[in-house]
Amino acid sequence: MSSEKAADNVFKWSDDGKPVKVDKWNGTTVKNALDDAVRMIMTKHFNYEENHKLMDQRLVICTISCLFAVTALIYDFLRPFPESRLVLLICVLSYFILMGVLTLYTTYVEKNHFLVVHQKDPAGVDPDKIWTVDSCMKRFDDMYTLCIMLEDKQNNISHEATLTKSVGSWFDEAGELVGENFLKDVCALHDGMLTEKKKK
Amino acid sequence: MASFDFLDEVRRMNKRQLFYQVLNFGMIVSSALMIWKGLMVVTASESPIVVVLSGSMEPAFFRGDLLFLTNHQDDPIRVGEIVVFKIEGRDIPIVHRVLRLHEKENGDVKFLTKGDNNMVDDRGLYAPGQLWLERKDVVGRARGYVPYIGMVTILMNDYPKFKYLVLAGLGIFVLIHRE
Repeated sequence: MSSEKAADNVFKWSDDGKPVKVDKWNGTTVKNALDDAVRMIMTKHFNYEENHKLMDQRLVICTISCLFAVTALIYDFLRPFPESRLVLLICVLSYFILMGVLTLYTTYVEKNHFLVVHQKDPAGVDPDKIWTVDSCMKRFDDMYTLCIMLEDKQNNISHEATLTKSVGSWFDEAGELVGENFLKDVCALHDGMLTEKKKK
Repeated sequence: MASFDFLDEVRRMNKRQLFYQVLNFGMIVSSALMIWKGLMVVTASESPIVVVLSGSMEPAFFRGDLLFLTNHQDDPIRVGEIVVFKIEGRDIPIVHRVLRLHEKENGDVKFLTKGDNNMVDDRGLYAPGQLWLERKDVVGRARGYVPYIGMVTILMNDYPKFKYLVLAGLGIFVLIHRE
């Protein structure tokens, strides 16, 4: 199945169908482009459903802190300084506490996960299998590490598979993502995990 | 060509990622704001950091120096202290030294100020009919200073277009740059 799709050049790597082109020397943009490509593969190629919970929780923490800041701004504007002291104190403390919470959240809960997808059971009976995808790329290093974790609650199995490769194998001279190579590697990793499951 | 690459990045982001970029910008602004308000609460002053605008306090302070102020009400004002005050009806804070002081038993004070580098006291600067300053006019007392840094603020106020350019540039950079 994966070999048929690999030959399918109609597979869109970005929403507007244009080829993904990045500044190949900028590590951050390269990693982000690869992460986005993995997201496209998992959602469009394998048709898994994306779970936005991790991202949404982060957005909520950030939004609440900004709201505290805006409240402090407006209250201080309406009732100038000496009267607004208590409200300002509460808002400032809450803001910095939330910043601490955010740091703890990104370090311990989010870690390197940038994607969580659910594989729905076709019969609609069994609980979803959850795929969590991590990625990391050190600064000024060309090695991209992709780590896929599968959690199958029903059979109580969890698997993990890692792929570390130089980004040079997926990007051409101009900085354009060569989709077929990347798709092949990700599918190999993914299918490898499924066959390993079936053996057990 | 580089600018079009940036726009490509933005176009490829989904709704959540775009919202996160905006939030990132909001959080940077909020952090700066919260640090400023936090300083206001800690120092009890409505303007904890001021820039010296004139040379009236030379050689102690020069134009462009940054001053750190505190304004705790239980700290009594004494002659010789450098105070930053605002004259009623005017926005600009003035940094001068206390020359003479009258204090009542209940703590009310009336004081006269003069710039070290000025020939006369500040009565010419006060509002018409006003001969003394009171506690409520004080923004704070100088507790520490950093030389030269305030010149950036003076430049930005003299050339507002430069200020808007820098702020706009920084804003766009934060909105487009993905971590």
